[in-house]
Amino acid sequence: MNPELQASSQPDAEPTATRATVPMWILVLLLLLLFLGGVYFDHHSGWFDAQVYRPYASAEELDAYQPKSGAAAMLAQGKRTYDMICGVCHGPDGMGKPNQAPPLVGSEWVNTKGFERLVRIPLTGLNGPLQVEGKDWNLSMAAMGAALSDADLANVLTYIRESWGNKAGPVTADDVKAVRAKLSAHPQPLNAEQLKALAE
Amino acid sequence: MKNGTAIFLAVFVALGASWGGFVLAPEWQLGGAKQTTVLNSSELYPLGRPGEAYQGLQVYRANGCAACHTEQIRQSGVACEVVLTSAGKNPSAVSNLISTLKLNGLAKEDADAASDKITAAGGKTEIHIVASGPDIARGWGTRQSVAEDYLYDYPVQLGGLRVGPDLSNVGVREPDLNWQLVHLYAPSSVVKGSTMPPFRFLFEVHKIGKAPSPDALVFPKGSGPPAAYEIVPKPEGRELAAYLLSLHANVPLYSAPFTP
Amino acid sequence: MTEMQSSDPGPRTPDPKLDASCGVPLLALFGGAALWLVVGSVLAMIASIKFHAPDFLADCPWLTYGRVQPAADNALLYGFCIPAALGVMLWILARLSQAPLCLPFMSVAAANLWHLGVFVGLVGILIGDSTGFAWLEFPRGGSVLLFAAFLLIAISAAATVGARRERELYPSHWFLLAALLWFPWIYATGNLFLVGWPLRGVVQAAIDSWFANNLLFVWLGLVGLGVAFYFMPKLAGRPLHSRYLALFAFWTFILFGTWCGIPQGAPLPVWMPTLSAMATSLLLVPLLVVGIVGWRTVWGSVKSKWDNGPFCFIGSGMDCFLLSGLMLVAMACPHISRETEFTWFGPAQTQLELYGFFAMTMFGAIYHLLPRAVGFEWPFPKLTRVHFWIALLGVLLLVVPLAIGGVVQGLKWANPNIAAVDVSAATLPFLRMSTTGLLLLLVGNLLFALNIFGLTLVWKLALLRKAMSVLKTPLATSEVIP
Repeated sequence: MNPELQASSQPDAEPTATRATVPMWILVLLLLLLFLGGVYFDHHSGWFDAQVYRPYASAEELDAYQPKSGAAAMLAQGKRTYDMICGVCHGPDGMGKPNQAPPLVGSEWVNTKGFERLVRIPLTGLNGPLQVEGKDWNLSMAAMGAALSDADLANVLTYIRESWGNKAGPVTADDVKAVRAKLSAHPQPLNAEQLKALAE
Repeated sequence: MKNGTAIFLAVFVALGASWGGFVLAPEWQLGGAKQTTVLNSSELYPLGRPGEAYQGLQVYRANGCAACHTEQIRQSGVACEVVLTSAGKNPSAVSNLISTLKLNGLAKEDADAASDKITAAGGKTEIHIVASGPDIARGWGTRQSVAEDYLYDYPVQLGGLRVGPDLSNVGVREPDLNWQLVHLYAPSSVVKGSTMPPFRFLFEVHKIGKAPSPDALVFPKGSGPPAAYEIVPKPEGRELAAYLLSLHANVPLYSAPFTP
Repeated sequence: MTEMQSSDPGPRTPDPKLDASCGVPLLALFGGAALWLVVGSVLAMIASIKFHAPDFLADCPWLTYGRVQPAADNALLYGFCIPAALGVMLWILARLSQAPLCLPFMSVAAANLWHLGVFVGLVGILIGDSTGFAWLEFPRGGSVLLFAAFLLIAISAAATVGARRERELYPSHWFLLAALLWFPWIYATGNLFLVGWPLRGVVQAAIDSWFANNLLFVWLGLVGLGVAFYFMPKLAGRPLHSRYLALFAFWTFILFGTWCGIPQGAPLPVWMPTLSAMATSLLLVPLLVVGIVGWRTVWGSVKSKWDNGPFCFIGSGMDCFLLSGLMLVAMACPHISRETEFTWFGPAQTQLELYGFFAMTMFGAIYHLLPRAVGFEWPFPKLTRVHFWIALLGVLLLVVPLAIGGVVQGLKWANPNIAAVDVSAATLPFLRMSTTGLLLLLVGNLLFALNIFGLTLVWKLALLRKAMSVLKTPLATSEVIP
């Protein structure tokens, strides 16, 4: 070994340890913290529920704060569906696009007293010439609403009837259900004459 | 040594308990998660990210965007709001009542009590649920992030540091593709004072040919390439922008309810 | 509660053959570690400069901030901290066992595999192959090499402990052996469930947080405490106070520390952050006990040992351990975490842990043991004192402004009227100060590397001289075959 190291090294002994015992107050502190932790867990853990996230403290609290589907919620849901499915052709503002889709704003097909004609249009589709607000249109619309549930279609139609200045009343899920029941399993697209033959 | 096996087992259990608690247990609880539905609707959530957006997540990962940006919204509270939907037959009585009541920031029981009072006076009400917290107040989101938001992402890029804003809903905040691309190319041209580094290596500069490329970036006045040149995103740049545009987490869910 | 009753046998003097058995593995481990330390410091400087000049090296995709910052962090942790830890562990276990290192060739092979793995991993991150998980960014190739290298060293270490003559274990044994068990477990879990056969959804984030806590806080804590409980009494010339307190600290540390990782605002069901918060508050007990053990062991000898470099390094390392533990406890309080989460406060705590606690402890240990293992003194012994002061100042300048800046940042993020650019403008002065800290740390690391490479050169030259002298010795007539 290097002689300088031998000469200058500090005592290079292995360390030893005393056998002093753990003071009682540390154990008391540990138990106190365990207890407080348990209390905290009881209040803030949601008891392992997979759906309870902070700030909810329990599954009951989460359940209490679920919004019921009020009119505003339905309109918002209807708007979302409209933007995704209908707005592509009819425009985000319901003004329609030439050669693509007629406008919904102020349309007599939308602002009907009843719902029989309006509900059928998205459920069966619409072909052939028709007049909307004095203008002629001759396009074909697929049954864009056939895949939606009764509630979702009702929300969309309510949204259309209550936006952009339209002031017709809402369409309910039951209305949609009633119309669906009258249609066959795979209805053919209707045309303007067939729709006019129905009551509004 | 004495009781060597017993001590080894004890250490094994003491260390392994956290493995059971934070690796196995979350996998049992959340690992089989499936799509859920949006609250009060039959719309499924989440929908998988379209192809280019999924590639964009890999560009996000490769360039370590999570080093400066988070993708998680926190929520510190939830409150009820009582909204009048119909004044009923006696509007003046209802409006007098409303002026005496607190209708915002209520706990559920208080909201129910106020709602009952108004109904008794002839009006109709709705109770709206409102999520609150600094992240939500900043407009970064309308509710907190929950497990479903990350269902189809690999790797989940939650991020741990907010040098820049949170990105959970950046597709809602900045839905314009051109803005996202210009921001990646030269952040300070669209966000004054930004310290985000420019990601010019995701783009190509070339001379404008017969006509400008449809993909060419449109810059705000005062920035951008010299006159005869245009900047076009490389595939990685396009993918990253597609990923950013696909980031939205603003529909109400059972575990993060709010009235939209 | 009587104290100061040592029933252990008197101090034993070391066997020079024992030290010499560790020489080559330690040089292999520490040489590479010193290199990665400097590389990591340079990468960290580059990352830090980008805040002050976002255009700095911005056109090189390899050096974009999102790649260079994780590369710097991984170079510090996997490139320096862990190999240094393994080397120091091997030497301490050999000394405590009073037996030469078993299977040293395994350790040398492991050292080379490890450094190759770090190289593959760092290059992987810089070219864009990062896995995307914090502290686990090395791509598959790198992590497999690291895992294999660790297993080889663990075998060597376990064999050395098995060969010991004294049956009772010293407290450091507990800490170091637990660390040998824990790293393969957490590293395999992290790599299998996140990279190999990834689990779906936000569970990935939960496991990544668990892994990061268990590697950075628990594993480095186990090794650092094991090393400190060995060196503090040895260097102070007093017995450790006490065996039972140290073991109590061990048990409470592994029971509670392993549960601390889940951040309070994480998008996970609330039971997970709540359990972490509980565990972190319980962490106060082992922190307190470690503080008592450290203080009672060195109290009274601090002034006299002040000029002992390793003692200063390890002592300040222990202080930083306690401070970083307290920062961890603070970050888990829901009211505080609301302000400090997603701010620079977190990185400040991590740097204090990695650098202020662990790297400093390793420096002290290496400065003490490597000359004994290699048989030569440091080529620049005065530089160790300079290194200590530069490193301490560097750590202070790095951590304190980052921590304060983090709190300022958190308060501003919480105010929705303050724009995002104003928040980053407010943190810039603090980042400037911490860049200066990084610069000081880089200088300190260069001094360390200078000593290590110098010592390696001296040792190699001595080997060469010995080989030459053997070659030049005239043959005895009996050796010549007619």
